Amino acid sequence: MSEKKIKNIFVNGAISPAFIADSIAKHATKTAIGGHSIFMGQIRRDEINGKFVAGIDYTAYEELALSQMDAIREEIFLKYPLNCMHVHHSLGMISAGEICLFVFTSSAHRKPAIEACNELVERIKAELPIWGKEIFEDDTHQWKENI
Amino acid sequence: MEMNMKLEIISFGKISEFIGHQQVEISNVTDTDQLKSYLETSFPELVGMKYKLAVNQNMIQSNQSLKNEDKVAIMPPFSGG
Repeated sequence: MSEKKIKNIFVNGAISPAFIADSIAKHATKTAIGGHSIFMGQIRRDEINGKFVAGIDYTAYEELALSQMDAIREEIFLKYPLNCMHVHHSLGMISAGEICLFVFTSSAHRKPAIEACNELVERIKAELPIWGKEIFEDDTHQWKENI
Repeated sequence: MEMNMKLEIISFGKISEFIGHQQVEISNVTDTDQLKSYLETSFPELVGMKYKLAVNQNMIQSNQSLKNEDKVAIMPPFSGG
């Protein structure tokens, strides 16, 4: 039996700019790194049929999402020479303008970090069992679908 | 002999608005294709919707046999990120 611990990517609520800044600062001691790539997903105040999106309420099939993410993480580490990879995704109600996804990759040179970051974002959106319910300012809602 | 099977059903996203977390006891269902027909008869809202099943936390890509006490998740298209 593997004793490997599965990393939890989920955070309740929005991802704060201070958390992101702190995460960057923690890499100052890792001096083999020469390039970081960061993606941040932010909630858009979309207008749909005259109504504005107030926020997105995220839910997930957490156990399955974490095991899928673990497999993706291993594949990305095999494919790209990365020093670090961090993924954080919000659960619960996130308001327009707040950050709901934070993907952070680091490598000795820029290209693996940039490409791995892109691929991670695409795979997170396509493969992880997470659902966003768009809540409008009048409290009605619709379920988001990734395209 | 008619076999009865107990399944735990969970659902997510839009589908959780009309299929709640429940235990079902069904007969004449032995695989995921038959379960889909059963679900679409019991919950007509599912007909025409895109959805995937996971059995005991494994995503189902093609028809798979079911056994007593399996936990089946019904999942609409993902929309994370």
